[in-house]
Amino acid sequence: MSDAADSLPARVGRATFGIAEVLGGVALLAARLVRRLFPPRLDGPELLRNLYKMGVRSLPIVAVTALFVGAIMVIQAGVLIRRFGAEGLLGWGAGFATVREVGPILIALMFSGRVGANNTAELGTMTVTEQIDALSTLAIDPLSYLILPRCIAMVSMLFVLTIFGDVLALVGAAYTGWGLLGVSVATFTNGLVEAVRVWDLATGLIKSVLFGGIIALSSSYYGLTVKGGAPGVGKAVNGSVVASATGILVTDYFSTYVLQ
Amino acid sequence: MTTARPTPGLAATLGAGLLELLAGARGLADVGRRTVYWTLRGKPEPGAAVRACYETGNQSVFFISVTMGFFGMILVFQSALQALRVVPDLTMLGAMYLEILVRDLAASIGAMMLATRVGAGIAAEIGSMVVTEQVDALRMCGVDPVNYLLVPRFKASLIMTGVLILWGGAMSFLAGGATAYFLFGVSPATFANPIMLDKGDVLIGLAKCLAYGAAIPIVSGYCGLSTRGGSEGVGWATTRAVVNSSLAVIVLNFFISGAGFLLFPV
Repeated sequence: MSDAADSLPARVGRATFGIAEVLGGVALLAARLVRRLFPPRLDGPELLRNLYKMGVRSLPIVAVTALFVGAIMVIQAGVLIRRFGAEGLLGWGAGFATVREVGPILIALMFSGRVGANNTAELGTMTVTEQIDALSTLAIDPLSYLILPRCIAMVSMLFVLTIFGDVLALVGAAYTGWGLLGVSVATFTNGLVEAVRVWDLATGLIKSVLFGGIIALSSSYYGLTVKGGAPGVGKAVNGSVVASATGILVTDYFSTYVLQ
Repeated sequence: MTTARPTPGLAATLGAGLLELLAGARGLADVGRRTVYWTLRGKPEPGAAVRACYETGNQSVFFISVTMGFFGMILVFQSALQALRVVPDLTMLGAMYLEILVRDLAASIGAMMLATRVGAGIAAEIGSMVVTEQVDALRMCGVDPVNYLLVPRFKASLIMTGVLILWGGAMSFLAGGATAYFLFGVSPATFANPIMLDKGDVLIGLAKCLAYGAAIPIVSGYCGLSTRGGSEGVGWATTRAVVNSSLAVIVLNFFISGAGFLLFPV
């Protein structure tokens, strides 16, 4: 019997059912949240608290990530710039990729690690200590009171943080180019302004909204379905960040394809 | 007479943050030192490292394949669009893609993925053991929890990060090649062009694999071991493990890339 349960088809089947269960659960959660938006039924003070907690408190980590990412992009582009001796292309090479792709993805991954994981941990703790059941008992809808404010906060704050991060990444890139490659900040800015169109910036920001939605839904789903005490919470956080990272990269491919 | 203000001023806030950062750095250095010490001097528990390899490696293959495959498709699609704005032909696309993949992206993006998958896993497991007092039980038996819990995971991560990054890099190269062929008509023979690879690129890539493989278990192990409180604490520890090990990857990437750029001039 144990051989049959461990055979390859059985394992593939189990994994497929697992993925289907998560996707279905997330879709149901999304549908129930959308229904609470018309007319909007959500807790205002809870929304403000989460906007502060998820947005303002994430500023340092986003700033550090963005500065380093900009610097790394310039170091990588620097190899090509030296080879072709085209300094004017640095702004194009580093800036285009940063605002369109690398900035939104890496900021979303860090946001998923900080805010998404934290959200799963909080909701998971509430689930295992039966606080969510207590809310239902008091006729308070947990989705309106807890989940919807968090989801709205995550989507809007990731959008704002991506704008902030894009700016800092470009600043980091400009000064690394100046320090490491001797390309003046003015040359970098010229190359950047010539090559990067508003639409490139907009693509990155549209993506950040999609990523925010994915992080919000998957982290809430994993938080609400925790089973089994402290180890369960740890496992749920792990599952939530893995699902968010997969979702971010898969969505990114399709949105890059659609938004070209 | 004014009473003391309940809200701390700017200096107090910054100072508290700095002290916390220093305490964290000291704790991290201590865990790192003990991990290296026990890896070199300790008597390995038979089979533990192999089990950890299975958990780190085999359990992450599917996740790494999917994420790195999609990442490769995105990257080729995006850079082809970007290149077409300046030059009309894409014959060098594959060569440049291969270079940047080996030099940086396979290792760095792969390690960011492993930081979420493996790092969070280590912190969640060790954190659960801390709050259920299993780690204290180990200490009572005179066993250093770093030796018993972290060292096998450290060895596994050193080996498996390299293997998974190699595998993930291959997946993203294949997926990228397919994208170039189906969407931009670049033949696979033109795409698989190693002309721009040199010794420096390979060495930088390998250095990154080793550095990330060492950093992820130490950072997450520290986060797991410093867990406090019940299930909330485990959640917090896992969150911190993901954030800090991803940050460690980004910061190490900056320094290794910078050093590589200066050491291997083009």
